[in-house]
Amino acid sequence: MINPLPLMNLPKLSSEQLQAAQAPLNRKIFLQGEPGSGKTTAGLARLAFLLESGIPAEQILILLPQRTLAKPYYDYLTQNPLPPGSLPTIVTLGGLSQRTIQLFWPAISAEAGFARPHQPPLFLTLETAQYYMSKVVEPFLNQGYFEQLVIDRNRLYSQLLDNLNKAALIGFAHTTLGERLKQAWNGQPQHLILFDQAQDCMNAFREYCMANNLLDFSLQIELFIHYLWRSFLVRNYLHTHFHHLIYDNIEEDAPAAHDVIGEWLPVFDSALLIYDQQGGYRVFLGADPQSAASLADFCDEIVEFPPNLICPPTVRQFQSALVKAVQRQLTHEELTPPIKTAFSHLPARFYPEMVDQVCKTIDELVHQKQVAPSEIAVLAPFMSDSLRFSLMSRLEEYQIPARSHRPSRSLYDEPAVRTLITLAKLAHPHWEMPPSREEIRSMLVHCIEDLDLVRADLLMQMGFTAKKQSFPLRPFEEIGEDGRERITYSAGLRYSRLREWLLNYIEQGEEEELDVFFAFLFGEVLSQPGYGFHDHLDDAAVTARVIESIKKFRQVIEPVRSQQPGFSVGMEYLNMVGQGVISALYLPPSEEEDAVLISPAYSFIINNRSVRFQFWLDCGNYGWWERLFQPLTHPYVLSRNWQPGRLWTDADEYETNQQSLIRIIRGLTYRCREHIFLCTSRINERGAEERGALLLAFQGLLRRLHQQGGES
Amino acid sequence: MKLPPDFSFSQNNLQDFLECPRRFELRYLLRQPWPAIQSQPVVEHEQHLRRGEIFHQMVQQHQIGLPVDKIGAQAYDQTLLGWWEDYLGSMPQPLPEHRLVEHTLQSAHSGYRFIAKFDLIAIQPGEKMIIVDWKTSRRKPPRAILSQRIQTRLYPFLLWKCSGAFDQAISYSPEQIEMIYWFTADPLSPERFKYSQKQAERDGEYLLELVQQVEHHTQTYFPLTSQEQRCSLCVYRSLCNRGITAGNIDDEIDEEVDDDRLDIAFDQIGETEF
Repeated sequence: MINPLPLMNLPKLSSEQLQAAQAPLNRKIFLQGEPGSGKTTAGLARLAFLLESGIPAEQILILLPQRTLAKPYYDYLTQNPLPPGSLPTIVTLGGLSQRTIQLFWPAISAEAGFARPHQPPLFLTLETAQYYMSKVVEPFLNQGYFEQLVIDRNRLYSQLLDNLNKAALIGFAHTTLGERLKQAWNGQPQHLILFDQAQDCMNAFREYCMANNLLDFSLQIELFIHYLWRSFLVRNYLHTHFHHLIYDNIEEDAPAAHDVIGEWLPVFDSALLIYDQQGGYRVFLGADPQSAASLADFCDEIVEFPPNLICPPTVRQFQSALVKAVQRQLTHEELTPPIKTAFSHLPARFYPEMVDQVCKTIDELVHQKQVAPSEIAVLAPFMSDSLRFSLMSRLEEYQIPARSHRPSRSLYDEPAVRTLITLAKLAHPHWEMPPSREEIRSMLVHCIEDLDLVRADLLMQMGFTAKKQSFPLRPFEEIGEDGRERITYSAGLRYSRLREWLLNYIEQGEEEELDVFFAFLFGEVLSQPGYGFHDHLDDAAVTARVIESIKKFRQVIEPVRSQQPGFSVGMEYLNMVGQGVISALYLPPSEEEDAVLISPAYSFIINNRSVRFQFWLDCGNYGWWERLFQPLTHPYVLSRNWQPGRLWTDADEYETNQQSLIRIIRGLTYRCREHIFLCTSRINERGAEERGALLLAFQGLLRRLHQQGGES
Repeated sequence: MKLPPDFSFSQNNLQDFLECPRRFELRYLLRQPWPAIQSQPVVEHEQHLRRGEIFHQMVQQHQIGLPVDKIGAQAYDQTLLGWWEDYLGSMPQPLPEHRLVEHTLQSAHSGYRFIAKFDLIAIQPGEKMIIVDWKTSRRKPPRAILSQRIQTRLYPFLLWKCSGAFDQAISYSPEQIEMIYWFTADPLSPERFKYSQKQAERDGEYLLELVQQVEHHTQTYFPLTSQEQRCSLCVYRSLCNRGITAGNIDDEIDEEVDDDRLDIAFDQIGETEF
């Protein structure tokens, strides 16, 4: 090991890392290696070296396929002293596209065929794209489209959007999607019409976007690739701006990004392309390791790092044996006694028993063996809300902090948000969405300090007017004296102020935007002393997030739909929440670092952090092996590596499932520094017996070990 | 409470600290969201900010060489069109050819990081460096107030500290730096602030003194502003028990809030989840 450069606050670097970091400033290097072999650290060291060498920071482009992968670079830049000057740009292809579209919009909007080229583009989020897709698809559904398909509406919309994204990221016309899927279809012939119907919907969505300047992710990428990147002006701007490239995890990016970088590389002074040899986990989002590997041809040098620095020999041996077992090629020679120290089996009959065992084992690790909670990850192919909830609450009983890749509750389940929605319904009687008595009672408990459920119920019984009234809350003074005393006058005063505020709003006769309405209500009533949000900072955070979401929704909905007479963005928003079209809002996951991580296996791998202990839940689950059922899209057919016209056979399905299980085993074991617990339950979460490929492979491995033990 | 290790001082957070230390604590250290109305009328204010954003973008497009007629076509209302025409007719001239647009600079000063995003830096190598800031607020503030704003002290200071980054072979003295504020509300009367060695020394000391005050408050507590009239334009007024109704936008000195965080742009595509 050699001492790092003085500027770097990095761990000691190996000679290979130092060599890659200190490569000449005109060298383009393709760096490959196993996960955990220190490639990203070399990328950070390269960044430090470039800055140390006097390269202006604004000339450095750090490109990544996904936001979470930027964390090491972001942390490095924010937590270390840097030479005075600018900052490097950290970006994904999507981010770069959005930025350049915004800047060069006037130059390309007419040529690209937008109906309103002089008006600014409206960038859609996942939520708003789904909203517009639902509006476009609605008339088709009324005509009987997708009738024979049993699928949740929101999954239908997301698969249509996913297809458009794939076409953009892989580089073929979105108008050929249906045909490609049809050509590969090998199932019931009556399913084929669904691909035609999907194609009609996707075409209509794209036309709608072009007519209204709406840019979903797919259109942003297509605009960048077909117009901006082809424009001399834009290329010149990008070429003069950026001279040095660090492109990490290229195997998780899509061919469109690789194409751009392939063309751009000759212009960069230097480049470091970092390729994870076992990667490609984002295949469902268009990742293409093969096209990433082809970028090596454009580099001056290929450097391969020696094997993983993280994964100990025993875990590595377990990895190899389990992979062989999946391939049914496991022999006695693969197994040596130390392999047993790499894993344990936690068998259970029922699912809750398995959860109990996992939490109990974690308790032993944390409280008896003093393992830091952050060194433990609980992983499953899918993480259902109920599983996440039972794990989190069981760990809480053991007083062990846990964090999830996302919280188990949607924002709309938060009492503060339900309170806001109830108040919005009360304040907008013309929406004809009257809240129920229960909703009003919960709202009162939440809103008015010191008003418990009993008093709130009393207030409801005595203060609720007949159904015919458009505003259901009676004045406090109209309640009998006995009732007023039981409710208390202080609570009554607050109730009256809230009521008065709502009535004033209604009387003013002009509907505020919903986000503005909430902001006024929050500031002037709910967060004032004596009201429930005043001392509850979490409620304020939740309210802020909802307001932000509505505002974003409004800003992309209003320019397009507000011309329709009587259209209310607020009412539309609440309707969409009710229908589940807008459902993906969660509070940001806890940032507590020293906590057990509960996550789907793929999310854990892609976040690229290693832990000492892993728990693989429910090894019998088919989800470890099988891909998700997606009747309207196909990650392997919609790929450059698929030969158009070929049929997708059962053999293809089997082979890709095998490969994906092997990839996941490798991805997890490379990120394990000590021990893996394989947890099995004879009866799964839904009460059925499941014997998926991971379980069979594991049983095969155990059997061989047992035989070996018997023989010796 | 300690300052986080990745904390950067900017004109926004230092101005907030000057106006109310408690607001600085709530907004930047505790990062406590408090979604009340800041000033009224809300939707008009939002439209005004949106116009300001588009105007800055149009100027950026102009500075990188996009055709004037295509840029101008984006002016979607008379106000924005007026600003654009005023800009074309009376932007500060002559500016050196080498331009950096929407450029972020950072530097450490006595162990603290300072950061700023500049609308425009025009450089004549070895000769001069001019900072131009486009102001779209409704009124032009008096020069005396402008001169006291953190922006007027931080921007030239930071540019001077970072001047070596543009060309290591050339060193600039503070006298070669000028800061110009150009106002859509008064396009013919930009305010110019010449910089000097003496001013740079004063600013360096002043900024250091401010961050030391911040450090001091992290050890004790962050007091509320003594000028209560300011609270009507602060979102935290209900948290601090200092009022109910939001004040009027006309009472705000600077309506723009520059985004001076680390410049990272990501797309909206979902993270891997199965």
